[in-house]
Amino acid sequence: MIRKPGLVVSRRQALFGAASLAAAPLAMPHVARAADPIRIGLLLAKTGQIAPQTEYLANGTFLALEERNNMIMGQPAELIWLDEPSPQGAVQNMQKLVQENKVCAVLGGSLSSNALAEEAKAAELKVPFVCDNAAATEITGKNCNRYTFRLNTPVIVQSRMLAPYALKYGKRWYHITASYAFGQDILRSSRELLKQAGGTEVGSDEVPLNTPDFSSFILKIRQAKPDVVVGGLSAGDLSTFLKQWNELGMKGKIPFVEIAIGDTDIWAVGPEAATGTFTKQWYYKNPANPPAEQAFAAAYEKKFGKPAADKAWMGWITARSLFESIEAAKSTETMPIIEALENWSFKGSKSDYRYRKFDHQMLIPNLAVSVKDKITDKWDYFDVKATLPENPADIDKVYGTEEEVGCKMT
Amino acid sequence: MLDVILSQVASGLVLGGLYVLIAIGLSIIFGLLGIVNFAHGAFFTLGAYFALTLYRTFGWPAVILSPILVGAVGIVVERLLIRRLYDKEPLVSLIITFALALMIEATVRLVWGGIGQPFSPPPFLSGFYIWGPVLITKYRVAVLATTAAVLIALWLFLTYTPFGRILRAGSRDPEMVGLLGINLPRVLAWVFGLGCAISGIAGVLAAPLWTVTPTMATNAIMPAFVVVAIGGLGSFAGAVIAGLLVGVVIALTIQFKPEASGAVMYLFMALMLLLRPRGLLGERWERFE
Repeated sequence: MIRKPGLVVSRRQALFGAASLAAAPLAMPHVARAADPIRIGLLLAKTGQIAPQTEYLANGTFLALEERNNMIMGQPAELIWLDEPSPQGAVQNMQKLVQENKVCAVLGGSLSSNALAEEAKAAELKVPFVCDNAAATEITGKNCNRYTFRLNTPVIVQSRMLAPYALKYGKRWYHITASYAFGQDILRSSRELLKQAGGTEVGSDEVPLNTPDFSSFILKIRQAKPDVVVGGLSAGDLSTFLKQWNELGMKGKIPFVEIAIGDTDIWAVGPEAATGTFTKQWYYKNPANPPAEQAFAAAYEKKFGKPAADKAWMGWITARSLFESIEAAKSTETMPIIEALENWSFKGSKSDYRYRKFDHQMLIPNLAVSVKDKITDKWDYFDVKATLPENPADIDKVYGTEEEVGCKMT
Repeated sequence: MLDVILSQVASGLVLGGLYVLIAIGLSIIFGLLGIVNFAHGAFFTLGAYFALTLYRTFGWPAVILSPILVGAVGIVVERLLIRRLYDKEPLVSLIITFALALMIEATVRLVWGGIGQPFSPPPFLSGFYIWGPVLITKYRVAVLATTAAVLIALWLFLTYTPFGRILRAGSRDPEMVGLLGINLPRVLAWVFGLGCAISGIAGVLAAPLWTVTPTMATNAIMPAFVVVAIGGLGSFAGAVIAGLLVGVVIALTIQFKPEASGAVMYLFMALMLLLRPRGLLGERWERFE
């Protein structure tokens, strides 16, 4: 047989070569993955009353990734942000993130109603879900699961922290709460605490979301003459209530207290109408903030031209906990990330922030803040009255024992 | 108890007045142009934001320019977009105006930011009146008075001016009006602008009471549709009566069953549509039959 000049490839050789090329990614998976970014899902509402808060949550989340030069484990990393239009829509988007976008974990949960649905879906999809904003007690309570971690302090814990401040004004309370998971949780917790203190509820109203006019509610409160009003309104509804509270001449007449105020809520009220005592997790002007948080606040202000709202910090610290845990796990697989999250910690000013193993709740002190008597800076509304619990050693106790919390990991 | 009910009725009338203003603009646009304008709430939001900027830049008197600016935006939108919808299926105008609402909301977010903006009533309207059992703030009295003045002026304009007659005739028989030599397309642009300007007035009045955010229209647009449906599509008087009724019903529900206050207007609408499908004062309109 005479060999022809040039490259001669038999049909068998060609088929073998093609098959080898096709199988190459299977033989060298680490090479293929190195080229793909690590994808992390972000589920936050893009519209609705909560949107002003989620803008800050998202800003903080993206800033946490930028601080790492958009790299995790030496690989490029990216955040994929989908909407939370409703609990059902949020669940559909979580499924899309996991199944279509192939994310290794999901951050988000701007409303309790959404987060409760999302955490169930996370368990079904077996994907780590780190909830940043929702505060409903059940999330890390009776509805907890091993895939869900949560930053925001549960309603019952915040209510315990706030109760002494409300009781300072008296034992005749009026509740005005939102008629959805967050508000109903506050109402339940506050009533229980009031009962324990031997107080009386002189009135209670559950308010539909997006109520534009509170004057009729305020007239009822005025008529009931309580010692203090305990609120459970969220975001824009709280801002509208406080504006109309002032407009109807109630500011300074009956004290108002509420848990979990966001800076954006009070900025929308304005200096003339702002009033009240609140709990919150973080304040940009708190002199006790540790250096890493001070650096975050400075970086945020430099990038966005305005101070970091507490929600920005919430997005930042939650994202940071996840990114550092993926880095520590050296894996994008679910179980190593979960184990790393359980062992993650951050140096706080009084005590370290960490997720508790039995319920995956982040243990973090809260602040008691009151609106300043005179507001001269359009961003700086609060005086920090105390860091709660005042004794850092009490933090486990304040967040409740395993039995009190009722979390049974599934 | 009577004193409480009277106070709640007064409070409901103010809320109803705002709903009337929003609904009247919607009703005029539907009645004369045949367009169900889903973007109407976005013009309400624009009214609030223009007022905020004018107040911050030039002080309170400049706020009066806000509805005029909203009307001007409305005229531009009609010329560029809405007039292409007049001969289209109603579904097309619904979709396009819904998209327009989203676009305006996104623009507001881009220009003014996503977070709520502080805006309080003017100092000269702070404080309240106590008339017997009724407590009402000075600002709310001003809102009621302004609403009444706008409605009376609008009624006089539509009933007694040549332009008003052209509008009413054009809404019934546009072809005949065109045959009489009247440039109806130009008139329709003004009608759309007028409807938007009235919504803008509601936005200005609501801004010191509600939270000024890009999404504030969501609190306005659904009640406006409910009011129009109860009052009768295209009916001026129907919208006024229905708006005030809705406000009062909501206020009284808050007194006796607060958790139902968000749903009561929809229940009211369902009852009305069952009993009188054309609404309270809905008429038979040849061009929509």
